[in-house]
Amino acid sequence: MRDAFDKFETAGIKLYALSYDDQETLAEFAQKQGVQYKLLSDTNSRVIKQYGLLNEQLSKKDAFLYGIPYPGVFVCDEDGTVISKFFHDSYKKRESPEMLIDAALGRITIDETAPRAESSDDGIRITAALHGGKGSLRQGIVRQLVTTFELPEGLHIYGEPVPQGLTATEIKVEGPAGLVTLPMEAPSTAPLHLKTLDIDLNVWSGTVRFATPLYPVGELVSECRPIDEREVELSVHVTFQACTDETCLLPQTRILTLHVELEEIDVPNLPIHTGHGQREGNYDSTPAMKRLVWRKVRKNPLRLLQFIWNQKRMERRSKR
Amino acid sequence: MWHIEAMKAERDELGFDAPAPVGHPVRASLPADAPTGPAIGDRLPNFSLPDAFGRVINFHEDRGQSKAVLVFYRSAVW
Repeated sequence: MRDAFDKFETAGIKLYALSYDDQETLAEFAQKQGVQYKLLSDTNSRVIKQYGLLNEQLSKKDAFLYGIPYPGVFVCDEDGTVISKFFHDSYKKRESPEMLIDAALGRITIDETAPRAESSDDGIRITAALHGGKGSLRQGIVRQLVTTFELPEGLHIYGEPVPQGLTATEIKVEGPAGLVTLPMEAPSTAPLHLKTLDIDLNVWSGTVRFATPLYPVGELVSECRPIDEREVELSVHVTFQACTDETCLLPQTRILTLHVELEEIDVPNLPIHTGHGQREGNYDSTPAMKRLVWRKVRKNPLRLLQFIWNQKRMERRSKR
Repeated sequence: MWHIEAMKAERDELGFDAPAPVGHPVRASLPADAPTGPAIGDRLPNFSLPDAFGRVINFHEDRGQSKAVLVFYRSAVW
């Protein structure tokens, strides 16, 4: 987010991040980490509740943890209407900032510096690029492997379903163990009716972009150990058949190979997180943590005891 | 926190590692049917909150006529 702030500015998109942290914490975070977007302080989780996002898996017994939202992002248009939103099943997952910008603008804009591979044959150029961030893979951060077809005038490729004898477009991304890929996102197809054969087809033509979201998990990149391999290989298997309204080329499969870097994530500046080879901010979060705990337990010190007891119980359970 | 230091990394069912045991409240799971707030097509409810510098920000007013991205995240602390 921090590194992409300029891109939001250029695109004319305002960026806000809301949490239950106090102002002092946010001020330090902004200053030490060079955050330029607006950090909003919702200490009583009032807006989190207003939006219906309070994490109710946690209770007041969980002391300082209580009050956090289910993590997610809203993208709104000029009128403040939601045009896109992203919610995940883990606090460790989130979209690359570029995907949020794309959602706001309604198109995919790939950086010139994104790692890419290209294949040109039969007048059809196919490019595969890793879109988002600096084109590197970071734990839980969703990037997109964007496959772009540049089809010459008159040629089209097929989407499912296809009649027998034709091959639909299929893109498979293969990577190292620990790389999770999500279902591919494709633009909508255009209907094409071939009068001579009296069949209905679903086609793409011109420049077409297919996006496969992906992110690494612990087996590949972990916040608990340093990165051992700096670079990994992704191979993109693109199967398609290009046709004009009259004739078809043979179905083909092209394999594009990219090399992408693995990158550390930013970990909280607490003793439990630091020292594992990840990127640490240049300040200590312990005072902020103490303030947070105090804010949550001062009305009921029993909460702290409950929390510590709960913690010990979990520790014992994890050792069994 | 001071007393979680001794914990070892554990991998959760999604494949993520963290220095706290799986099942610990700091690793609260997110149920598949967890609420996701206002729907696409809804206007984002307005609100006013202080920013890092203590200025009160009225969301829609501050946004003006711009598109915006509003992130709900866990914490800048942990």
